[in-house]
This record gives sequence, structure tokens and C-alpha cells, in this order.
Amino acid sequence: MERPNTIEAERLVREFKKGPRAVDGIDLRVEPGEIYGFLGPNGAGKSTTVLMLTTLLPPTAGTARVAGYDVVREGPDVRATIGAALQEAALDGLLTGREHLRLQATLQGLPRAERPARADELLERVGLMEAADRKVRGYSGGMKRRLDLALALVHRPRVLFLDEPTTGLDPQSRAALWTEVGRLAREEGVTVFLTTQYLEEADVLADRVGIIDHGRIVAEGTPAELKAQVGRPTVEAMPADERIADVLARFGEPVPSAKGVAVRLAGDADLTAIVRALDAKGLLVDNLQLHQPTLDDVFLAKTGRSLEGAGDEEEAASRGLAMQPAA
Amino acid sequence: MRLASVARGVAWRSLHNVFTNPSLLIPQLAFPLFFFTAFAGGLSGVSRVPGFDFAEGYTAFQFVFVLCQSAAFGGVFTGFGIARDFETGFVRRLLLAAPNRTGIVLGYAVAALTRWLVTATFLTAIAFAVGMKVGGSGVDLPALYLLAALVNVAAGLWACGVAMRLRTMQAFPVMQFPVFLALFFAPVYVPLHLLQGWIHGVAYVNPLTRVLEAGRSFIAGAPSEAGVAFGVAAALAVLFAFWALRGLRSAEAAG
Repeated sequence: MERPNTIEAERLVREFKKGPRAVDGIDLRVEPGEIYGFLGPNGAGKSTTVLMLTTLLPPTAGTARVAGYDVVREGPDVRATIGAALQEAALDGLLTGREHLRLQATLQGLPRAERPARADELLERVGLMEAADRKVRGYSGGMKRRLDLALALVHRPRVLFLDEPTTGLDPQSRAALWTEVGRLAREEGVTVFLTTQYLEEADVLADRVGIIDHGRIVAEGTPAELKAQVGRPTVEAMPADERIADVLARFGEPVPSAKGVAVRLAGDADLTAIVRALDAKGLLVDNLQLHQPTLDDVFLAKTGRSLEGAGDEEEAASRGLAMQPAA
Repeated sequence: MRLASVARGVAWRSLHNVFTNPSLLIPQLAFPLFFFTAFAGGLSGVSRVPGFDFAEGYTAFQFVFVLCQSAAFGGVFTGFGIARDFETGFVRRLLLAAPNRTGIVLGYAVAALTRWLVTATFLTAIAFAVGMKVGGSGVDLPALYLLAALVNVAAGLWACGVAMRLRTMQAFPVMQFPVFLALFFAPVYVPLHLLQGWIHGVAYVNPLTRVLEAGRSFIAGAPSEAGVAFGVAAALAVLFAFWALRGLRSAEAAG
């Protein structure tokens, strides 16, 4: 009987010599056919987690099972079941795209007769058919990423790991990759474990999101659930006018605003009611915006820092260059 | 599980790259030819040393050494390729894609052997073209090639073990130097019985001496100490197979 294509981890730990705990006891469960977004800044432990789940790095402690196979004791079974596109698309510049697919198919034991058709199918799917017989050293970064994804799919994996798959991609390639990942999960039932530092990517693509910081999962849930945890939307109006602020204050708690006045909406207040109230007072506003909470707000609420730039601080700290106050 | 398909994939990629890139293929053929020309041609006067009694002549005498040297260095250069694959991250792709990782070591070894067979064929053709004499109608020649093939496998697995442990191209001297010493502390230019002093003592205990002496006896058509030579070469291949597989485990643990 085929095992379910789940991903499970219990108290998973990875320590490096003379280094911090890159992964510090995380628990995970990803359901079959789910897209799980693993969100965090650089150095948070995302890639280390992927390396352990894909059997490239043994855990220091804890257990993990992928598609029902233990990543330590049943590594060959795990590798036969998964596909992975890691952060650096390590390709051989002397091989063509098609030759890479041939190599990957051979390594995975795909029947010889099936290989050419499978290669063509994947090259077509990732838009590399025209470049298929060119050496990879002439590919752009985006083309390498797309080839990497095709390689991960050669043997029709039931679980797919994508480690920051859209880093460095142009918006068009990024959108195409999102479409393909969504299709894989919904039409083929592939379980996708996707790491990213892009809030939008996790928001748009993931069914559920885990937020990792300093090796620990600090929040987990659907994007909507996570955003609901940090509170209500805010409404911001410009210009900064005391009378406008008074009207807005009837609808929620005032919050700081750099350009105008803002409130965090309370109860069932909505934008329509605010517009009517402003109109009733005869107040003119230049701009009125409704801000829904973002995953960055979630990260801020859980860690006290904004996701954007958090990785830079950690990288600087790890190099012994933690920011010093100006003299 | 999938040992053969993994080995086939790794070997195919390595061979494809060598045979489609002249910059990789030409040195593999040119270096043994250079040594053969230098040793067999430039040093041919050594055969007139009193006591030098190799009937087939100095060309055949040196051919055996250069054949074994090309086998050994061919194996070592495969280790260099593995180290380069670590530096470019390609080994990580192999480790990730290969359900059976032992096949990676096997694939590199098969590639090293196949590359050397091409070199050996080329070298043999040149040697016969310049008039190399073979004793005993050449019926013992396959044994010489089999012995050299074992040297290639042993050297390749040694270098593979080093590459898997150190995972950098800077490890090349570590791979090469012991092989270089073993080769040149064997009776390279004259038979063992003509060596004197400490060099004779070192050569006597050097396992490659048995291989060279037996190899020369094969080309002369009068095999001697064949069992010992094959035993030594096979033992080295088995020993370094364990070394390489332990190296693979080390690479796996390092991620």
C-alpha cells in the first residue's frame, strides 16, 4: 500500500560545531497535497530544515518522516519519493538542459524508453524547449531555476521541496513558477514544502504558513488565520487633520501614521461607514486607505522585528558585525 | 536499490564531459605519451647498464611503468573531478538524486576505468608503432592490462576517499603525492635487483614493485609472481573501496 505523502517532524534539531542551533526543536506536519510555506529571514533555519528533510544533512536530534519514511533510517526511500530544487541550482555547465534531464532520469532509474518523452514534456512545461540543446553555462539565472524545477520533477515525486525557488527571478518567471507549483499541488496531489523570504509568495501560494525565526517556529496557520491573530485592519487618511482624526477615532483605536491619521478598526467597523461619517461632516480627504494585516505584521508581532531586513541583522551578527550605536 | 542506474548516470556524465571537451581529453592522452617518450626514448641508454637483462628491450620495460603510471594518475585525476564537483555543488545534486549513494562512488570508479582504457589503447598503439617488442606471442598481455586496471581502480578509490573527506580541489596534492611516491619508489628505470642501498629497501617493500615486476614478466612472456601481484593490487582496491565508502559517509554527515 502506498504511504501518504506527508511531511512530519518532531523536535527536529540541527547544531553545527562552533555555531548556534540552526534548527532548534521544530515540530511540523504537512498534509498530502498541501503547499506549506516556510517563511523566515536569512539565517532563520529554513534551508537547514530542508537539508534535513531531503536527507542531505543528518539531524542532531529529533525525528522526521517524509512520505512515511524516516529521513535517517530510510534515506534511499525518501530520495526515491521526493524532488527538490535547492537554493543554488547546482548544474553542470558542460551539459545541455536535455542532458541534465537524461542524467537525472538515469539516476532515478526511470525506464530508458520513457526518458525522451518525459524530458520533452518537462522542457515544454518550464519553457526551455528552444534552449534544450544549449549548454547550461549559457543559461540565465531564471533559466537555470526553471531547469532545476524540471529536474526535480523528472521521476514524478509525491513530495516536492523548493528552497527559495523564486529568489532572483523576474516577475514574469516568478508568476509562471507560482502557477506551476499550484498546478502540481491541485492537479497532481503533490505535497509542496516551499521556503521563502518573500511575504507575497507565502501569502499567494501557501495553504499554510510556518514562520521560523532563530531556528524555532514562532507561528503557524493559514495566511488568513495568522493575519487574524495580529488584529484588525487599519484605516489611514490624509492629510493629517485633527477633525479627520476625530471622525476616525469613532471607529477604532488611533495608531501612529507618518503621513496622515490612522486607526485600527474595532468590531465590525468598515470603510463604507467611515466614508459616510467623513462626508456627513463635510470633510475632504486626499487619500483614504484600508490596510489589511500582512504576514510581516505577524512576524513583527511574534518576534518584535520586521521580516524585511531581519536577515541582514542576523547575518551581520553572525559575522561579528552587530550594529553598534553611533558614537 | 538502483545501484546500477546511479553508477551508470554518474559514469555517463563524467565520460560525456571528457570525450566532448578536447581540453579535458588531450591532457589525458598527452601526459602518458610524454612520459613514455621521455623514459623509453631519452633514457634508453640505461638498458646498457651491466646486469640489465630485460630481453624485450627498454621500450617494453618502460611501457609497463608508463601504463601503470597512467592507470594510477588516471584514478587520481578522477578524485580531482570529484573535488571540483563538491566545490560547484554538483555532488549535492547527485547525493539528492541518487536513491543509492554507493552508486556515486561506483560511477566515478567506472568512469576512471573507462577513461584509462582509452589512454591505454592509445599508449599501446604508439608503443607498437615505435617498435615495442613483446615476448611469448603476447598471450600474457591481457594479464598486464588487468593488473594495471586494478591499479587504476585502487588509485581512483583512494583519491575518491580523499575528495569525499576534504571536499576541495586544494586536496589534490593529498591525493597525488602518496601515489607519486609509490610510483617513483618502485623500480622505474632498472629492475629491482639493480637497485642498491636504501632505495632498494624501499622498493622491495613497496607494493607497486610487485605489480611492476609481474607486469614486466607478462610483457616478456614469462610470468612470475603473478599471484602476489594480483593479490597486492586486488587488496589495495578492496582497501581503498572501504576508504572511499567511508569518505562518502563522511560527506553525507557533513551535508
